[in-house]
Amino acid sequence: MTTYTLSIFTTNTIGLLNRITIIFTRRRLNIESLTVCETERKGVSRFTIVLRHESREAVEKLVRQIRKVVDVLAVFGYLDHEIVFNEIALFKLATPLGGTPLNIKEINLDWNAKVVHWGLDYVVIEKNGTEAEIAEFYQYMKNWEILEYLKSGRVAVGKTEKGLVEYLPEADWETV
Amino acid sequence: MANTQTMTAEMPMTETPKFLSGAQAIMQCLVENNVKTIFGYPGGAIMPTYDALYDYQDRIKHILVRHEQGAGHAAQGYARMTGRAGVAMVTSGPGATNLMTPIADALLDSTPMVCLVGQVKANLLGTDAFQECDIIGMSMPVTKWNYQITDADEIPEIMAKAFYIAESGRPGPVLLDITRTAQADIMTKPFFYKPCSEIVSYRPRYIPKQSQVEEAAKLINAAQKPYIFAGHGILIAKAQEELDEFARKTGIPVATTLLGMSALPHNHPNYIGWLGMHGNYGANVLTDEADLIIAIGMRFDDRVTGDLSKFITQAKIVHIDIDPAEINKNVKANAPVVGDAKEALKALLPLVKERKHIEWLAEFKRYDEIEFEKVSKRDLFHDGDQIKMGEAVALLSKKTKGEAVTVTDVGQHQMIVNRYYEYMKPNSLVTSGGAGTMGFALPAAFGAKVGAPDREVIALIGDGGFQMTIQELGTIAQSGLPVKIIILNNNFLGMVRQWQQLFFDNRYSFVELQNPDFIAITKGFGIDAHKVSDRAELSAELDKMLAATTPYLLEIVCEKEENVFPMVPAGMSVASIRLE
Repeated sequence: MTTYTLSIFTTNTIGLLNRITIIFTRRRLNIESLTVCETERKGVSRFTIVLRHESREAVEKLVRQIRKVVDVLAVFGYLDHEIVFNEIALFKLATPLGGTPLNIKEINLDWNAKVVHWGLDYVVIEKNGTEAEIAEFYQYMKNWEILEYLKSGRVAVGKTEKGLVEYLPEADWETV
Repeated sequence: MANTQTMTAEMPMTETPKFLSGAQAIMQCLVENNVKTIFGYPGGAIMPTYDALYDYQDRIKHILVRHEQGAGHAAQGYARMTGRAGVAMVTSGPGATNLMTPIADALLDSTPMVCLVGQVKANLLGTDAFQECDIIGMSMPVTKWNYQITDADEIPEIMAKAFYIAESGRPGPVLLDITRTAQADIMTKPFFYKPCSEIVSYRPRYIPKQSQVEEAAKLINAAQKPYIFAGHGILIAKAQEELDEFARKTGIPVATTLLGMSALPHNHPNYIGWLGMHGNYGANVLTDEADLIIAIGMRFDDRVTGDLSKFITQAKIVHIDIDPAEINKNVKANAPVVGDAKEALKALLPLVKERKHIEWLAEFKRYDEIEFEKVSKRDLFHDGDQIKMGEAVALLSKKTKGEAVTVTDVGQHQMIVNRYYEYMKPNSLVTSGGAGTMGFALPAAFGAKVGAPDREVIALIGDGGFQMTIQELGTIAQSGLPVKIIILNNNFLGMVRQWQQLFFDNRYSFVELQNPDFIAITKGFGIDAHKVSDRAELSAELDKMLAATTPYLLEIVCEKEENVFPMVPAGMSVASIRLE
């Protein structure tokens, strides 16, 4: 299984998310993570979709099918070494009176994470990093009682000097 | 509409200009798009637009069908004849869901279609209102594009976009879901229609890259046994003349796919038959002998390839298609050419060498002889009492000189029509290929006749499929258009029965039909109808049908358990084709 990251640029249209995900559904492909956001270009949205697959060919076919969608501007497929990528994880930990104290220094310096909220009997810790780094940190966090844990989908940029404007050179895109 | 704007501009500034309603704007957009005919069925959520249509009857001919599915298939038939988007207009909820089958059919067969669908008022959206249905969600996987219009002001731009998307590139169906509010509201600005000619996120490539063309030409010039697969793309691009020229110059044999049928006339020196499950013997088997396949505007459907892992493993492939997603989808191309079939052939023509492939063409002929001995002879020249579908179609072909438009339904008769109708004119077969929609033929034939009133349009339908959209006899009767209908009646769902006989150990599971009296029903609709079961009378009955100047139905009672051969069993290699 190889991890692929797709960067999909689209016009900002209602229902487009559905139009893209049904292409996955129809081919029985599982989406590992999905992030949608606005871009530096007005009216352009960016989808970052992570999937795992053993066949590069199947992923290439998928990319061509996504490109075929009328409102899709451009699609790029990346392997992990071709991108800079990250996720955000939040951990809500119970910190009852008399429990194991948190080692803030270790969390900050060794794990490169930080406490973003202090509650009465709990804290919220934010950790940025790759899936692997977050998974490792999760193991460390299990030393305390995890009340809630969640993480975002991947965001990624290609390791090229190109900007979005070069992907969409024909259009007169307004910057936000 | 430019003159509306001019009118508005000329009005004194003090007067409030009278703007069009959304519904009027829809009508005006149709006029601007030169749409002369639409097929539809009214209902609650589309009523404002039908009200506007009342004032446009002199410019837009509306044909009232008997079921929304009929509107869709008629629009498809119309589109296939004219090359322009067929327009179907229906109401929300069940009206829209009934249109789903034609839309899915149009997507698979690359047929341009614009579906105007009513929707509940904007404030009722998402409330499970009466006749509300999430048609945008439902139609998403089967449309090329769809859009919900909630604001009357959007109408001109979206309608222009809809026609452009439906008709350009690889054509397909577009659905517009128009809320009752958007239809009823008055626009807040003067109506202005500008045809759409570019969408930033959608740029079909017509002219192929020169480098791709050169690469393809190199392979073509080097090949010893090249073989052309001509698909629907040839007819959509109106590239039959270029194909003819290309085939004559290079001497390469040409087979068509089901939907590519009539891309070359039947008597063309390079035409060697058709590909696919029930295609010709040589056309299928010799795919394994070729050293180069030149696939033009076709998509290597599984009904053509059979077992993909065993399909043309020895040959190189040049794949010409306007849809880049088709390249390497089923079969890997050595030289892909993304572009319009006409443009690609035009670009290739000066680069390919003049050659003859006499020996290679003769190989196909040898297979034709075997096929004739084992299959065609039995179908055409037999001494049984009952009429065989093949002989009926062959006789029809002779009588019409191969120049009629045949519209088929789905099943045995469909394959038989392709086997024995000898097409002499391009764009002469309207059939549901990709989707295989039973019930397609009757409404599609009607639409085709509307689109091509000067051509003889003949629907050929099985007794099963006929009963799926039989109500459209009413539409045909009301129009008075001389659509000719042939029912090839074997009292069976023949193709399924054939499979059950061959692959399911003769276990006939629910394939025998107790049919109604088709003649009485058809006459009940006010259409002239005749029945023939005696072989001796077949010719005279066909003559009567062809001479008719009004709608006419001829029921031909056929042999009950006839099988269609050749046949590549589903999922098997083309080499395992059966002749009996």
